[in-house]
Amino acid sequence: MRLTQGTFSFLPDLTDEQIGKQIDYCLGQHWAVAIEHTDDPHPRNAFWDMHGAPMFDLNDAAGAMYELAACRAAFPQRYIRVTAFDSTLGVESIRIAFIVNRPEHEPGFRLVRQEAPGRTVRYSIESYAVAANPEGARYS
Amino acid sequence: MGTVESVEITDTKQRYAAGVLKYAQMGYWDADYEPKDTDLLALFRVTPQEGVDPVEAAAAVAGESSTATWTVVWTDRLTACDMYRAKAYRVDPVPNQPGQYFCYVAYDLSLFEEGSIANLTASIIGNVFSFKPLKAARLEDMRLPVAYVKTFRGPPTGIVVERERLDKYGRPLLGATIKPKLGLSGRNYGRVVYEALRGGLDFTKDDENINSQPFMHWRDRFLYCMEGVYRASAASGEVKGHYLNITAGTMEEMYRRADFAHELGSIVIMVDLIVGWTAIQSISNWARDNDMILHMHRAGHGTYTRQKSHGVSFRVIAKWLRLAGVDHLHTGTAVGKLEGDPMTVQGYYNICRDTTTRVDLPRGIFFEQDWGALRKVMPVASGGIHAGQMHQLLDLFGDDVVLQFGGGTIGHPMGIQAGAQANRVALETMVLARNEGRDIRTEGPEILRNAARDCTPLRAALDTWGEISFNYTSTDTSDFVPTASVA
Amino acid sequence: MIASALPEQTTATAAGPPSAGGSVASALADTGVDELLREFDSELIGLAPVKARIREIAALLLIDRLRRERGFTAAGGPSLHMCFTGNPGTGKTTVAMRMAAILHRLGYIRKGHLIAVTRDDLVGQFIGHTAPKTKEVLKKAMGGVLFIDEAYYLYRPENERDYGQEAIEILLQVMENNRDDLVVILAGYKDRMDRFFESNPGLSSRIAHHIDFPDYRTGELMQIAQRMLDAMHYRFDAEAASVFDEYLRLRMAQPHFANARSVRNALDRARLRHAYRLYSHPEADTSDEALTTITAADLRASRVFAAAEPGTQAAQ
Repeated sequence: MRLTQGTFSFLPDLTDEQIGKQIDYCLGQHWAVAIEHTDDPHPRNAFWDMHGAPMFDLNDAAGAMYELAACRAAFPQRYIRVTAFDSTLGVESIRIAFIVNRPEHEPGFRLVRQEAPGRTVRYSIESYAVAANPEGARYS
Repeated sequence: MGTVESVEITDTKQRYAAGVLKYAQMGYWDADYEPKDTDLLALFRVTPQEGVDPVEAAAAVAGESSTATWTVVWTDRLTACDMYRAKAYRVDPVPNQPGQYFCYVAYDLSLFEEGSIANLTASIIGNVFSFKPLKAARLEDMRLPVAYVKTFRGPPTGIVVERERLDKYGRPLLGATIKPKLGLSGRNYGRVVYEALRGGLDFTKDDENINSQPFMHWRDRFLYCMEGVYRASAASGEVKGHYLNITAGTMEEMYRRADFAHELGSIVIMVDLIVGWTAIQSISNWARDNDMILHMHRAGHGTYTRQKSHGVSFRVIAKWLRLAGVDHLHTGTAVGKLEGDPMTVQGYYNICRDTTTRVDLPRGIFFEQDWGALRKVMPVASGGIHAGQMHQLLDLFGDDVVLQFGGGTIGHPMGIQAGAQANRVALETMVLARNEGRDIRTEGPEILRNAARDCTPLRAALDTWGEISFNYTSTDTSDFVPTASVA
Repeated sequence: MIASALPEQTTATAAGPPSAGGSVASALADTGVDELLREFDSELIGLAPVKARIREIAALLLIDRLRRERGFTAAGGPSLHMCFTGNPGTGKTTVAMRMAAILHRLGYIRKGHLIAVTRDDLVGQFIGHTAPKTKEVLKKAMGGVLFIDEAYYLYRPENERDYGQEAIEILLQVMENNRDDLVVILAGYKDRMDRFFESNPGLSSRIAHHIDFPDYRTGELMQIAQRMLDAMHYRFDAEAASVFDEYLRLRMAQPHFANARSVRNALDRARLRHAYRLYSHPEADTSDEALTTITAADLRASRVFAAAEPGTQAAQ
């Protein structure tokens, strides 16, 4: 299973050169770039762990790539994403978010169905990796 | 334009003598009127009958859309009638359209009930469009004062919150309308939903006339669609949705269907424009209370928006819908099978997404509009578009849009999943290239062909539809002189 | 911390297309760097040895680029980190900014901005603060030039727990591992910098170019003063010019003379006196000439003249 969250998940994994170009685009738009990682990729998990604060006032992608390298070295088997924040009035939210590191093996999600009266079904989605191991010991 | 007959009669005795007066004489024309910041402004395109003075036509429009009737009534004098009278304050010949005039009319804020599109439309378009001295009339644009805007709650979700709920950023969203429109059983229908979402789309959609017909009752549709949605979500790790059409014969039935969609865990419902303004505002409140994205299918609008000489421009409908509170709105594709000149269509997109809409005559925007922090509507491009046009669509509309490829997904020669995958790959490829600084407008076809080398479904899509385009002349383009100045 | 704006993008930024054959002149013109060097020569006064060194470095980098385009590689890319030594006001920061633009044109740095910092921008007050602070600055500087003024303050041997050492270590790491991402220029007094390098050989070995900035001569300072006045729309009258020359000679002999910076300060004080002179004579006219002319009296009031003993002025 390939987790397809993020802006570019249907393309082959981006090379560092491609990642750098996307970050340069973000900086050109005056967005603040941040690096986040997780071992709980549930679609409703909005809060991945922050690898430091968002980087304001960078001039070049190299600054973010420097942190990305550090994050990859610390968490080679986690999902890592680059996000960019736009503080413009009326947006004040994320403008792009794409995965830049993923574990070797992605077991994916189980769909849990709870049958209810009237043929109604209540659904929930459960990550195999999260169900099997505690935080920090998944995907390794 | 100041003939004797178009001058207001100020002498009270004369003005209120029983009988028939010109509208201009009754005070509905005031060339010196300076619109207030709190006035609602409307721009009408009128085609007077032969022999009717354009100023009198403008005054008649102002009169018939505010206090006037065909004859003088003494009961006016029981009111502060000067304030209640709408004022036509400017008349310009329409460039290159002999016999047509742009009439500007100002309405005082006190004429309108707060938070009611029904009241607004009853006033502005309630009467005047059947008025005999006019051959035709069209409401081209409106300026809604921010004081009035703030009486509406606007979109229940809005673009920013929708993206946060979906966890999808940086690219247009992808959708598809399930086809064929009619005849699929619930189980077969849900299959198409699953295949399209599993293949890579973010949304699938009921068509406007999918309600609860003999071939598929609504509960069946909801149950099978949600099975498809959640199966695809588990397979991808993404949030997915299907616009469940809850349009029904009564408001009670609509609420019943909306509640069931909510119970099943749907993130989005849809209604058709033909349910009417009051129903739209009610269901918008419901959507707000239930964290539901509200998708609006503009079914039926073509009956009054398409002809340039008569009706209501879609840009006005879009403004009313943003006030009334919808999250998604079909606003045309410019390159697909449905009506829409690219600039005019971009004008609709701007109305949906701007914080303040600026005057932009080539895009048909005549007034500056401050949206008063009202949330933004996600425009939807749907109808006859395919992966081969991805560069044009991204260039025309940017990131905040849902691109809906119905036939372009379901009609893919390798199957529905392949069709969805082709669209997603084409989209992500194009966004990546644009962000890298490439000129997608000219290099787009080459970028797509390169991506297709590693993606068989995209190659098949380009081979099948690469050459299809719908090049007909639009009936609704903006009329403007590039140098014209606008109030 | 001071960040200079990014340079204007020009048509000839970074690497142009490689061409087989062609002249050095055309390669120079392709990069647009010849124009920068010409401006450098004409717009900066004096600094002859500095200008010569910068031209040498530019030549090395240009030829190195041509060689790489043809596939001749030397081991590793050229090292670009530099050390600018000299007294205050000798143009180190100005030249660093020009250097950033030249490196950008030649394609050795991607953006061409300059971040100027001192110890306080890099070193924290408490344990654990220094690494993030230094990294923050380094990340902002990436793509451009990091200019560390009075770099020797990073090293305080008298305090063995000083956090400056931590900053130096991170700096070293990045200077080595991210050579393509930023160029570091250390600056300060020559003697102190020499001692700093003696104690930090790791840093010294990573600096490829040492450039010494000489003090300006009186005539050069006079030219600098004229440039500054032009830029501010002031001028000396005939007498004031010779008084200022005299002023410079006296001031240079006094302690804490800071070259161009002292000239700037002297002119700023002269402007104050000029303004106050006009203000004190409300009946005087406000012709353009009056508003733009600094007179001998505006300069004579300086303490520099008061400090000099009468009669010794001519001797100096």
